[in-house]
Amino acid sequence: MKPEDSEAATVAAVDAAALQDEALAALGCAATPAEVGELRTRYLGRKSDLKQALRNVRDRDTGMTLNAVRERLEAAFAEREAELERAALDVALATDGFDVTLPGDELAVGTLHPVTQVRRIVEDAFLGLGYEVRDDREVETVEYNFDKLGFAPTHSSRSPRDTFFLDHDTVLRTETSPSQIHHLESRTPPVYMVSIGRVYRRDAITPTRFPIFHQFEGLAVDRGLTLADLKGTLLHVMRALFGPQRRVRFRTHFFPFTEPSMEPDVSCPICDGAGCRTCKHSGWIELGGSGMVDPVVFQNVGLDAEEWSGFAFGCGLERSAQLRHGISEIRPLWSPDLRVLRQF
Amino acid sequence: MRVPISWLREYVPFDLPLAELAERLSIASAEVEGIERRGVPDVDGNLGLFRVGRVLEAGKHPNADRLQLCQVDVGEGTPRQIVCGAWNFGPGATVAVALPGAVLPNGVKLAPTKLRGEESNGMILAEDEVELGADHSGIMVLADGVEPGTPLADVLPLVEDIVVVESTGNRPDLLSIYGLAREVSALCDVDLAPPPGRDPACTNEDRVDVRVDDFAGCPRYIGRLFRDVRLAASPPWLRTRLSDAGMRPISNVVDITNYVMLALGNPLHAFDLDTLAGGRIVVRRASSGERMRTLDGVDRELTPDDLMIADAERSVAIAGIMGGEATEIAEGTTNVLLEAANFEPYGIFRTSERLRLRTEGSNRWEKGVDPHLAPRAAALATELIAELAGARWTGDVDVHDDLPAQPVVRFRPRRADELIGVSTPPAQQRALLSRLGFDVDDERVTVPTWRSRDVTREVDIVEEIARFRLPDVPFTLPVRREMFGQLSADQRLRRRVEDVLVGLGFSEVYTPSLVETDGDAAALRLEEPISVELALLRTELLPSLIEAARRNLELGNSRIALFEIARVYQPSGGQLPVERVHVAAVTEGGYARAKGILDALGASLHGELAVAAVPNRLFHPSRAARGGAGIVGELHPTLLGDGPWGALELDLELLLESVHEPVVYQDVSTYPAVRQDLAFVVDADLPAGELFAAARDAGAPELREIRFLSDYRDPPIPPGKKSLAFSVAFQTDDRTLTDEDARTLRRRVIDALARRFGAELRG
Repeated sequence: MKPEDSEAATVAAVDAAALQDEALAALGCAATPAEVGELRTRYLGRKSDLKQALRNVRDRDTGMTLNAVRERLEAAFAEREAELERAALDVALATDGFDVTLPGDELAVGTLHPVTQVRRIVEDAFLGLGYEVRDDREVETVEYNFDKLGFAPTHSSRSPRDTFFLDHDTVLRTETSPSQIHHLESRTPPVYMVSIGRVYRRDAITPTRFPIFHQFEGLAVDRGLTLADLKGTLLHVMRALFGPQRRVRFRTHFFPFTEPSMEPDVSCPICDGAGCRTCKHSGWIELGGSGMVDPVVFQNVGLDAEEWSGFAFGCGLERSAQLRHGISEIRPLWSPDLRVLRQF
Repeated sequence: MRVPISWLREYVPFDLPLAELAERLSIASAEVEGIERRGVPDVDGNLGLFRVGRVLEAGKHPNADRLQLCQVDVGEGTPRQIVCGAWNFGPGATVAVALPGAVLPNGVKLAPTKLRGEESNGMILAEDEVELGADHSGIMVLADGVEPGTPLADVLPLVEDIVVVESTGNRPDLLSIYGLAREVSALCDVDLAPPPGRDPACTNEDRVDVRVDDFAGCPRYIGRLFRDVRLAASPPWLRTRLSDAGMRPISNVVDITNYVMLALGNPLHAFDLDTLAGGRIVVRRASSGERMRTLDGVDRELTPDDLMIADAERSVAIAGIMGGEATEIAEGTTNVLLEAANFEPYGIFRTSERLRLRTEGSNRWEKGVDPHLAPRAAALATELIAELAGARWTGDVDVHDDLPAQPVVRFRPRRADELIGVSTPPAQQRALLSRLGFDVDDERVTVPTWRSRDVTREVDIVEEIARFRLPDVPFTLPVRREMFGQLSADQRLRRRVEDVLVGLGFSEVYTPSLVETDGDAAALRLEEPISVELALLRTELLPSLIEAARRNLELGNSRIALFEIARVYQPSGGQLPVERVHVAAVTEGGYARAKGILDALGASLHGELAVAAVPNRLFHPSRAARGGAGIVGELHPTLLGDGPWGALELDLELLLESVHEPVVYQDVSTYPAVRQDLAFVVDADLPAGELFAAARDAGAPELREIRFLSDYRDPPIPPGKKSLAFSVAFQTDDRTLTDEDARTLRRRVIDALARRFGAELRG
């Protein structure tokens, strides 16, 4: 090895370290891709010190050192360039004057009817309690709609003034209660069932009444069921429908197929019991009927009332939907108007 | 039932504030629908300005023909001069007076005034002016013997609270003030007064001729004769009680029958004895074609099903429902036959139903009135007729069959606790039952006659206990041993269909299942619809939805897309129709839109919903199709404006059959698919669906997908032909297809279509 050669190599090695530091420092100060381009020419261009040194390299070690510096610098330049380009792009994107509050594309999305929504809440509440869901026929025999449920021959519901008859023995069901008989005839207890569907009463059409409406009706038959179980079950369902703060009270009533019979009231969801127009200032809303299964029903389906006890209850879906949504009349629930339907 | 509280208190002197009583009644006995206060405002000593007065002088007003000028003693020493417009009284009459400063129920405050030049220092009152009734034909003339100056409120109920009670059909005993008083006695633990009414002496000078031919319909008939009846208006207290209870006062005898009905719950009827042929009563069925004119002036045709009250010759009343015009109490009546009977519910119900005639009487009878009540009702009526109409009671008969025995029911206090879910000490249970009139011994309860229809079993006694314990029963949930809850497959499907349609932009609508017209001429018809619009049970949903869409068009709504899921009722020939659950939808957009919705439903349900052209009256003649589950198409352009419109109606149960679940997983091929576009010239009437099916068969199993591109019929395609273009994708699971493979497959498809349909591949 010639002395000048080894001297040159030493100089180059020393230069390389300094060169790298200098280049990286300069790169750190570059603010635009153009500046990075200029620095690239200065430190990595054909006429740059580094390239020249590389061209003059004579020994392996120096070559490796210089090449490592070159690679490191090239990577640093590429990275810095990408960084600055991304920043420039971000600036350009951020300043294009876009208004995010403009409406989005108008995608069509429909709505479930509020009565269907109530139906699902009720179904889910009862599924959670382990009930089956039934959907039974709406055209019923007098036998299933009245006789087997213990309706007295003089019960006013049997009048063609109150009930729609198709012929002497056939009616549009006046409540979902025939499901109790159908269910008990097809199963052996214990049974826990809720029936949901359309029912019919021969009422004149008024702002608050329509002759067609929907009900849900639950039936539980097991050993040792009590009126307290009925109260607890209804409380659960009323809270599912009207919120966890609801209270429920029971008033004595009369139904042919339950004994004792009661009407449940729920504390008014509008005023929370303080009294308002919706609850007629009583703080309570009437919500259907309930009671312990009458022995006559057990007898009609061949069950022993000493062994089995049960409870049943029914409630209107429209009424529930009205209360949930603050609808004072029945009309909106039968309206085809999309301005009504799209609110739900 | 409207219950004046002063009347109720006469039978049960309770102390409870009215609002609390109302709540307890509502919970345990019968719903209180409201509490009304009527009468003179009870504020700032206002009541003290209403006094009893005695008319000392009365004569014509010097300057007015229609007015009287009176001097009235109101207990002040000097009489007051009062000008009055009524003429139904004279000097000596005891009257009701309001003094200047008094505020009337209508809010008017009286002041001293001058009428036609004469001072008037007060007002002589007519009953309507203090809300004691509706009469304004004259002023109230009170019974003599009350000192002038006595507060009027001591004599007349100037202020009354009226509780409006709605009792249930099983409790006819609560259709009476006394029956409600019995409940109040149990609710407040206060003693109940003995029932009102005690028979005066009967002179027994007349025989009462009553024959009952039909004890099944009329188990009991008490007939009583009265002579020298002085028919007149009832005294103010009676008129007021009736009017507070919601009944119109008529005359003392008629008012007494109504009063007794309200007090005790047993409807009565009074006949003018002199109009009864032979002075006789026969209870029998109507003869065929018999007619009678009832009190309301309507001529009614009767059938042998109807129970009648007849005299020796003809019917004089429809038993329990309404009296006849010919024998009613009217001016000139001096002799009266009083009927205190008992009628069986079912016959009354049927007749009242058939005649569409519901009365206070029929309403009670059809719920079942206690036959042991009749003598009590007769006693109260007799006492009042003697007292208020000055009549002599001259004859009495009580015709009855064997009256039903009181039910004796087994009762275990423990059983009540088991069923109610809260324990009530046996002593408390017994005490409650006795307050209600039940006779309790160790394990047996004797039911009072007025409850004997309603309480016949142990569970009915349990209810008697339960209704007084309702607020104390805790809230529990059943301890479950078996059973679990789950939606069935069809219920889950219904929810999926609802959700998919909502996601596709459809709003759910509910339309009536009763319609005016239906596509099926045999659709079931109601016997007595409430209107022509709601007369038939629909066999299809689409017409209702088309109507709903039309309504939205009229309202100017845009992006109309509606669906409904509901039952339809298909005539079966048997008693009951076949009920199916359908989904129907109507949307803006034509056939392609409707078909797209069907395909989207099919895809989301993993079902196959192929269709073929089948015309339908609601649809465009060439754009209607039917598949396994129902119909789809473009609505006939004449149905709705602003077209085209797409529609579908499917049977959910059939839809469920086309669903293949759970889906069987197929590995995704890692080898690329080869895609090619193909176009064929075929006869214009060849359905694309058939061509695609044939292509699929020919290319199987490598042909994985066919996508429709276009249907082109213009030149250069010759008339009667069309060009169908579609793209296919070939793929295998085990290797990459070569060009040679793809050519072979493509050839297989081209040859098959050429062979089957004469399809020519377009260059």
